[in-house]
Amino acid sequence: MEKSPNQITDDLLRPLLQTSPRFFMAVALLGALVVAAFGAFFYQAYSGIGVSGLRWPVFWGFYITNFVFWIGISHAGTLISAILRLANATWRRPVTRCAEVITVFALSIGALFPVIHLGRPWLAFWLIPYPSERTIWPNFRSPLVWDFFAINTYLIGSVAFLTLPIIPDWATVRDKADGWRKRIYTILALGWRGTPKQWHRLESAMHIMAIAIIPVAVSVHSIVSWDFAMANVPMWHSTIFAPYFVAGAIFSGIAGLIIAMAFLRKFLHLEDYLRPIHFENLGKLLLMMSLLWFYFVFSERLTTWYGNEPSEMAVFWSTQSGAYAPLFWTMVFCNFLLPFPILAIKKLRTITGTVIASLGVVVGMWLERFLIIVPSLARKYLPYSWGSYSPTWVEITITVGTFAGMALLYLLFSKAVPIISIWEFKLGQHKKAEAAPVVEAKPVVAEQG
Amino acid sequence: MERRDFLKISAVTGATAALDGCGKPDVQLIRFIPEEELTPGVAVWKPSICTMCPAGCGLMVRVMEGDAEVVRNGTLGLMKMGLAKKLEGNPHHPVNRGKLCPRGQAGIQVTYHPDRIKNPLKRAGPRGSGGFQEIGWEEALEELTAKLTQLRSSGQESGLAFMTKPLRGQRRELIERLLRAFGAPPPVVFEPFDEAVLRHANLLSFGRPQLPTFDLARSNYVISFGADFLGAWNSPVAQNLAYGEMRQGRPGQRGKFVMVEPRMSQTGANADEWIPTRPGTEGVLALGLAHVIINEKLRPPDAAGHAGSLIDGWSKGLIEYTPAVVEKQTGVPAATITRIARELAEHEPAVAIVGGAPLAQTNGLASALAVNALNALLGSVAKAGGIIFSPPSTPGKDVTTVVREPRAGFESLHHTLARQKSGEASAFQVLLLYECNPLFATPPGWSVKEALQRIPFIASFGSFVDETSALADLILPDHSPLESWLDDEAESGTPHGVNSLAAPAMRPLHNTRPMPDVLLDVASRLGGSVAAALPFKTFEEMLRGAFEHFLKGKGGKPVMDPDTFWKEVQEQGGLWSDTEISFHGLGGIDHAPVQPGEPGFDGAPEEFPFHFHPFPSASFYDGSTAHLPWLQEMPDPLSTAMWSSWVEINPKTAERLGIQQGDQVEVASQHGKLQAPALISPGIAPDVVAMPAGQGHENFTRYASGRGANPISILAPMIVPETGSLAWAATRVRITRLGEGKLVLFAGGLREQIHEHKHR
Amino acid sequence: METRPKHKWGMIVDLDRCTGCEACVVACHAENNIATVGEEEAAKGRAKHWMRVERYYEGEFPDVKVKFVPVFCQQCDAAPCEPVCPTYASYHTEEGLNGQVYNRCIGTRYCANACPYTVRFFNFFNPIWEKPFHLQLNPDVSVREVGVMEKCTFCVQRIKAAEIQAQAEKRDLKDGEFQTACAQACPAKALVFGDLNDPESEVSRLTASNRGTKLLEDLGTLPSVTYLQRDSWHDGKKS
Ligand SMILES: Nc1nc2c(c(=O)[nH]1)N[C@H]1C(S)=C(S)[C@@H](COP(=O)(O)OP(=O)(O)OC[C@H]3O[C@@H](n4cnc5c(=O)[nH]c(N)nc54)[C@H](O)[C@@H]3O)O[C@H]1N2
Ligand SMILES: Nc1nc2c(c(=O)[nH]1)N[C@H]1C(S)=C(S)[C@@H](COP(=O)(O)OP(=O)(O)OC[C@H]3O[C@@H](n4cnc5c(=O)[nH]c(N)nc54)[C@H](O)[C@@H]3O)O[C@H]1N2
Ligand code: SF4
Ligand code: SF4
Ligand code: SF4
Ligand code: SF4
Ligand code: SF4
Repeated sequence: MEKSPNQITDDLLRPLLQTSPRFFMAVALLGALVVAAFGAFFYQAYSGIGVSGLRWPVFWGFYITNFVFWIGISHAGTLISAILRLANATWRRPVTRCAEVITVFALSIGALFPVIHLGRPWLAFWLIPYPSERTIWPNFRSPLVWDFFAINTYLIGSVAFLTLPIIPDWATVRDKADGWRKRIYTILALGWRGTPKQWHRLESAMHIMAIAIIPVAVSVHSIVSWDFAMANVPMWHSTIFAPYFVAGAIFSGIAGLIIAMAFLRKFLHLEDYLRPIHFENLGKLLLMMSLLWFYFVFSERLTTWYGNEPSEMAVFWSTQSGAYAPLFWTMVFCNFLLPFPILAIKKLRTITGTVIASLGVVVGMWLERFLIIVPSLARKYLPYSWGSYSPTWVEITITVGTFAGMALLYLLFSKAVPIISIWEFKLGQHKKAEAAPVVEAKPVVAEQG
Repeated sequence: MERRDFLKISAVTGATAALDGCGKPDVQLIRFIPEEELTPGVAVWKPSICTMCPAGCGLMVRVMEGDAEVVRNGTLGLMKMGLAKKLEGNPHHPVNRGKLCPRGQAGIQVTYHPDRIKNPLKRAGPRGSGGFQEIGWEEALEELTAKLTQLRSSGQESGLAFMTKPLRGQRRELIERLLRAFGAPPPVVFEPFDEAVLRHANLLSFGRPQLPTFDLARSNYVISFGADFLGAWNSPVAQNLAYGEMRQGRPGQRGKFVMVEPRMSQTGANADEWIPTRPGTEGVLALGLAHVIINEKLRPPDAAGHAGSLIDGWSKGLIEYTPAVVEKQTGVPAATITRIARELAEHEPAVAIVGGAPLAQTNGLASALAVNALNALLGSVAKAGGIIFSPPSTPGKDVTTVVREPRAGFESLHHTLARQKSGEASAFQVLLLYECNPLFATPPGWSVKEALQRIPFIASFGSFVDETSALADLILPDHSPLESWLDDEAESGTPHGVNSLAAPAMRPLHNTRPMPDVLLDVASRLGGSVAAALPFKTFEEMLRGAFEHFLKGKGGKPVMDPDTFWKEVQEQGGLWSDTEISFHGLGGIDHAPVQPGEPGFDGAPEEFPFHFHPFPSASFYDGSTAHLPWLQEMPDPLSTAMWSSWVEINPKTAERLGIQQGDQVEVASQHGKLQAPALISPGIAPDVVAMPAGQGHENFTRYASGRGANPISILAPMIVPETGSLAWAATRVRITRLGEGKLVLFAGGLREQIHEHKHR
Repeated sequence: METRPKHKWGMIVDLDRCTGCEACVVACHAENNIATVGEEEAAKGRAKHWMRVERYYEGEFPDVKVKFVPVFCQQCDAAPCEPVCPTYASYHTEEGLNGQVYNRCIGTRYCANACPYTVRFFNFFNPIWEKPFHLQLNPDVSVREVGVMEKCTFCVQRIKAAEIQAQAEKRDLKDGEFQTACAQACPAKALVFGDLNDPESEVSRLTASNRGTKLLEDLGTLPSVTYLQRDSWHDGKKS
């Protein structure tokens, strides 16, 4: 049942070389939603951020929720594929690229929100320490400025991490394609000839990147968490936030990846490449993260409740049994009660199973971000100043637009780049051929160890 | 496009840009030569007088140079002029000593209000349709003069009525002289929360038909029966000042404050002890306290003197007012009554205050007399730390004439209405309206609208179109107070005799004229006796004349040069004695002894289970300040509501009726119904619902029109018999939930807290 | 190196004097060009009251007690709103005030979240003054455009004016020579403004009162405002 190298190449290049009408319909639909989102943003920038649901005292809402959420999703790719690379888990080979792409796009989308939510977005550039004639610099004590640097570093890193291993594949496309495609891919391939020297350079570059990217990724979500933890706001000002956020990020990231893979598998007919085993293994990772997430939430809630600090209890109760309880318990269901059994029971850990669990986690993690931000602001110290928040169509349109945007970018990317790394996949096949014929699963388990 | 057109356009835009910098002006305006010398950027302070309520606080107006669009002899243009920027209290003024209340602070918005009437208006279309057309002053004055001449020639002089807010000083003098000379009846003075009852009571008890002044700063114990003296009653700023001193002005000594009222007012919210009573039984409680004091020999009954003799059974020690009996009537525990009585007696000087709702009951006068007697018994009348009366501010004249006749107010209104109803012959032909809005502030039962409709010609001097002036045939817009010559004689709030005076703080913005000058003009046009009675070219001249006789020393010869004197009076903002004038041996007027008895209420308890308790709002007073955005957006001190009206309901009552915070409820009396959102408040008796007055204007500028509901519109036409005042607290209502409503609150606090508690 | 500033501005709020009249609230609007937002916006929680009088109920009918607490920027010495501001729009002045440079503000609203007293207000839309209300605007106070944060400044324009005047006349500022708009209006004299570096000033005297507390003191924000708690009835003659 092994495929010949040529067949593999054909399979994986098919999406690039031929396009179905379904593709155009999808692009049109998603594109429309994205345009609507941009429209909503410009409307807001023109008439004032008052068209959103933001108010005194809840000054942050959907926008910052989306910011944290998307930055979280971005942790899927680079982090996962880097870890798997270093752990040298061969089963990762078909997975890494779809993962790394998620990072780049989710990050770009997430990075838009700090700008979207500004009262004067046209001045966002003041966060950049450029030599202005007023010689005014940003305030380096502000976590928002840390965000700026962390996110940009991560973005540059992930783009490099994504593109390096694409070069050989682009070369492959160059060799297969003709006409305008050939010319474009010739440029993209950067004169790759596949000489041993080039291969060696690529390998070591990838290795360095894999090591370097991990602390960057961790730092990014730690800093995002400090946007909150640094402010003395009830239930924000917490030491647990950095690891809590990073774990949550990876959690939602993996979920995002599983969903993306399921789509690719179905629509690009990659059944033979993205196999149940990949979902099974990612499912196990997801299970672990679900447990970790529950552990974090539990310890956070327990200490708050036990500490019984009045201002914190006001927030605590509003989420446990008050106005925000329905959202809170939905979150617990989506992030734990739903995925745990599905992923724990081997029989359920199928492709459908893991996808259902992942959908739950994505919803749950979005709610988690919302529940971290809004209830605390709505119940800050002096009860007289308590308030509530609900979004307007503007925030909703923009939020929906970003999900559409993610899908759209992904779709277009899979048109331009082999979504599964051809050479890495072949390498995997090759390695297996050398080793004694074994059942697919074994080496995976072994290599994971 | 043609090159020439292009040039034209660029020329225009160029001119526009040149004219007014970056901002595009809607019209191109000419520049007027400044009328005054001002250093740009340098503020000058000019004294003035607050006219936002009758307290008469002194102002200092901060004036700075700026560019304003103004109208000068008919044309609109730009002028560099002194503009009022901020109002502060006049630090030397004996009433408010440099302080102001929120309404006083907001007073400046009257001058700059976008809906001020900017030109004389003539009615266009049917009366009350609100259709007006702008006319010139000459035409306006001619028309008014013509109407008056007509009256005189047809011998119907008594067909002229002048309806006004309470007036003091030379404005009042001018109007009264005009009417006298013309042969018309005295002015009809209209004041929504009329104080005639208290003035009348004080006349009977102490011989002073005026509002009292309280020397709280030196009191050790203050008990208020319904008087919102820290909010909008009597002289709030003076009373806040004194209250602050009573609390923390004397090291090692802090007075106690007890409040008696069925609905917690802003004042009540500050009390050390808050005692709800059944509405209308405040007088009974006062007598209950007196009973204990007399019974326990803490004071002899005759200590109360004349004030005591006005109470039935006083000399016999008020035997039928034992704590037990009083508890039954008032709902106040007997033990509390006894304790408070002892505290009152033991903590001289102790003072009792009465005002507001208790006096707006059918037994209001008796309640006032009861509290007066209690004060007399405590020996706190005309004493430091007690109740005093501001001295007459105009030498020679006696207080009684300086202060409005106590029975004026509603009496004269009823008289007017009666005349209107009693057929054409005696009906009024011409009505002049000044700064009062009876259509908004009288119960429908009095059918004031119908009465006014029947008057063939109505002219208003108002600066704004409101419910009443909408009926006018002619509107001759007055200057704003800051643009006018003002004078005033504070009725209360100070032990000093005060004559406030203010020159205009700024030049007029619009094509308006001061009401007094208009009257003088009309008088001279009328000629004859009227002109003779008012031989002044301007109101300024009249004012100066009036102040001149303060100059006369003993021998009648001036004590200083008139010009310097006149200048100094203006700089100080008026004249006042720097020594406190204290009264001794206050007189009183004989009157058959009274008893509070049972107050009468409109509506059967079975059908209308709730007492309806309207109250002057901290922001809108009686509704006359509802057009100012600062006051609309100022959170109500207790409800924190903004831009709206609301119905206060006790939590238990609300729970029983299934009413939630913010639900729309209907409040219905026998005389009408209204809708407003519910406000669940712990500070109100279960059988009482309260509503702020001042909202619910049909027609009062863009900020107040069609906003909230007007509690007066469902009041029963109950009156206090002795004075004819509206008994505005004597209506019973029922409430029903209609559904979801909208309540605009500033604080999330109250509601959220209740919510959170549920979950603990 | 660091020289002690000449002045340290502070305020007293005497809760035993405060009657909840809200003259301070309107005075602040009048002095500081604070635009009203109208019913619709007010309902959405966009009203701007640099000075607010918080009202708290205790107990149930008939034993109800109310506490009025005027709350405004506490001008914290360790102001949580300052380090979080990415553009230094919220910064610390040498006289210990929390300055707000509207031109620098890009509208992240981070400072408002960080402020434990929730006294920062945001311009969700451009302010509107229906003509001719604009003629009342105080030329000493800049008006704020859409998207910027604003809050109580301790009437810094009055402070500066007085300091410059005293400088010109080569003399020291006298205690009570000028006041903030709210303190000047306050009819119960519950608000006292002055220089805490002047041991003779009334504000210094009152700050030492045994009734003195700070709002949310345990958060360590080191406010410049001292609240004098409500007192109990003690009659000089009694005891
Ligand atoms: N919040 C904030 N504050 C700022 C700034 C900011 O951008 N934002 N900018 C800062 C800067 S750069 C500056 S330069 C200052 C400017 O601040 P100011 O120096 O106060 O400048 P203005 O307020 O424009 O003008 C001051 C006064 O000068 C008056 N004036 C106009 N012409 C004359 C004249 O011929 N003679 C006299 N005697 N007076 C005249 C004006 O009426 C005005 O009242 O503000 C500083 N303060
Ligand atoms: N209408 C009007 N015009 C004036 C004056 C006035 O009072 N009113 N004053 C005059 C005077 S005295 C002066 S000094 C000038 C001032 O003229 P400008 O300096 O142009 O005016 P500002 O608004 O003070 O500042 C200009 C821009 O700098 C932005 N800014 C703030 N921080 C930063 C930063 O870190 N980086 C960048 N790139 N931009 C930043 C502000 O938001 C503003 O949009 O205006 C002059 N013209
Ligand atoms: S009490 Fe207030 S409204 Fe009345 S005169 Fe004084 S300041 Fe004006
Ligand atoms: S009170 Fe709030 S705004 Fe004012 S300085 Fe403190 S933290 Fe900053
Ligand atoms: S809102 Fe303005 S002042 Fe506040 S943190 Fe953001 S930039 Fe700074
Ligand atoms: S100090 Fe000035 S800015 Fe601050 S609240 Fe008082 S009046 Fe407003
Ligand atoms: S003005 Fe003074 S008394 Fe009135 S609310 Fe403000 S602080 Fe309290």
